[in-house]
Amino acid sequence: MPELKVKGVTIVETFAEAFPMVGTRVIITAPTAEWAMISARTMTGFATSVIACGAEAGIERTVPKSETPDGRPGVAVLLFTMDVDKLQTQLRNRVGQCVLTSPGSACYAGLEGEKTLKLGSSLRFFGDGWQMSKVIGGRRYWRIPVMGGEFVCEEKTGLTTKAVGGGNLLVVGKSHSAVLAACTRAVKAMAEVRDVITPFPGGIVRSGSKVGSKYAGQIASTNHAYAPGLKWHADSELPPTAEAVLEIVIDGLTADAIHEAMHEGIHAIAKGGAREGITHITAGNYGGNLGPHHFHLKEIVG
Amino acid sequence: MSALCFELKRRTEQRLDLSSLVPARLDGLNRKEIESLSIATTREALTVGDAFKVKGRDVQTLHFVGTDDRCDKIGAKLKGGEIVVEGDAGMLLGAQMKRGKIAVEGSAGVSVGASMAGGEISVGRHVGDQAGGVAFGETFGMKGGFISIGGDAGDLVGERLRRGLIVVGGKAGEYAGGRMVAGTVLLRGGAGRYAGYGNRRGSLILAGKPRHLLPTYVDSGVMEFDYLRLLETWLRGQGMRIRLGARARRLMGDMAVLGKGEMLILD
Repeated sequence: MPELKVKGVTIVETFAEAFPMVGTRVIITAPTAEWAMISARTMTGFATSVIACGAEAGIERTVPKSETPDGRPGVAVLLFTMDVDKLQTQLRNRVGQCVLTSPGSACYAGLEGEKTLKLGSSLRFFGDGWQMSKVIGGRRYWRIPVMGGEFVCEEKTGLTTKAVGGGNLLVVGKSHSAVLAACTRAVKAMAEVRDVITPFPGGIVRSGSKVGSKYAGQIASTNHAYAPGLKWHADSELPPTAEAVLEIVIDGLTADAIHEAMHEGIHAIAKGGAREGITHITAGNYGGNLGPHHFHLKEIVG
Repeated sequence: MSALCFELKRRTEQRLDLSSLVPARLDGLNRKEIESLSIATTREALTVGDAFKVKGRDVQTLHFVGTDDRCDKIGAKLKGGEIVVEGDAGMLLGAQMKRGKIAVEGSAGVSVGASMAGGEISVGRHVGDQAGGVAFGETFGMKGGFISIGGDAGDLVGERLRRGLIVVGGKAGEYAGGRMVAGTVLLRGGAGRYAGYGNRRGSLILAGKPRHLLPTYVDSGVMEFDYLRLLETWLRGQGMRIRLGARARRLMGDMAVLGKGEMLILD
């Protein structure tokens, strides 16, 4: 079978294996776009992987004044976990500690759904009896008096159980700088896609993991097959020229959104072509037996 | 399909009870059956056909044309659909309605949207007393939905209001938001005496300082309210040209009752 290449970059014939997740979206507004972003960044901090963060979260996009419920600049945040209870806990804690505390912020539902998560309906208790509920256009909001004025928070937000986590691309190249530049470009391109986030630092993981370890109690360990320093080993999947591998992990509210993001990502990576030192684009999977979502790179490129 | 239209032939001797002319009731009836519905309120018999010229067929959109202040209970207990009134309306317009939309071009009588639970009423000109107030036999006033009044409102607008929003474009009479339990009343053209009397946890928003302020309201001073921004954005989304701003003086009251209500006087 002929190798599939895009601008000289080999697209390995494999697939990214992804898992069902539950997800939600909230809209954070603030007096300025900068403060909305600070609040959103704080809320989505330490949320790279469910392995140890409790949730995966990220900034989906900025929301212009004309689209927010209160006419102020906003930021849309996506939050994902493996089950609804954890999502509820994470949402309450993160909005309570990071958005409620952020100067001038307000927090609104960002997703319609039959199933809902408590938002203001649990945070209202911070009001210690001084909170006030207001229904506007059939939606309930809580006004909680705080030192900075009033924190306005919608009572609930929707959730989806159709979310998908762990869509990924592995980028193999001849130098760390080339791979980093290509991945940075890809993350930027994926940021334009709605309904997805790339939860890792700057969207990029440099320490992709495999399940399990030689050490008892260590649930994840280094993906040694893709560590360039271990190319000598029989397990290695890397070509002899590989100097660095970086991964982009994508979580999305739908499988289609991840598909679209991976498509944008692959083309952004391959934009510079093999000339820039990118040799392969591949993806991580577990043999296809663990996750129900398989994103075949060959189909995605097209 | 054109809207089902009721055109008033002439001013009637008696007041009319038009509560039967709602989509849920008219659905499935033919023209003759509709015309034979009774709308009398005295011992003298009076049917739809006696008072109105009936045209059109779509029962989900009703038009009342040339109606006057004796046409009571238009859209009362409405559960869906749309009613347009090209004229005035009598008392209890949209009283106890649950869903749907009523738009009146002219004025309406007392108890507009009394104890309504949802839906929307807009009145182009003035309304009588107790808009959004308590319907007969009910313990609370309006329980949800939206009433917008272009002109002036009588006394006791939002009496015993429990939930929902009332916007008055013109002046409101005395006891505006009287005994309100919760919900929001926005008065753009000022209010008479005793505004917010007996308010428990409702919000009374005033475009300017009322001439008489109840002594049972306590001042919290001026600050910014994102809630006002939220309300303004929503109202604009409803096509209302309105500017509330975010700064307002907040007075809490009525301390003679629960005292968790507020009066927001726009800055």
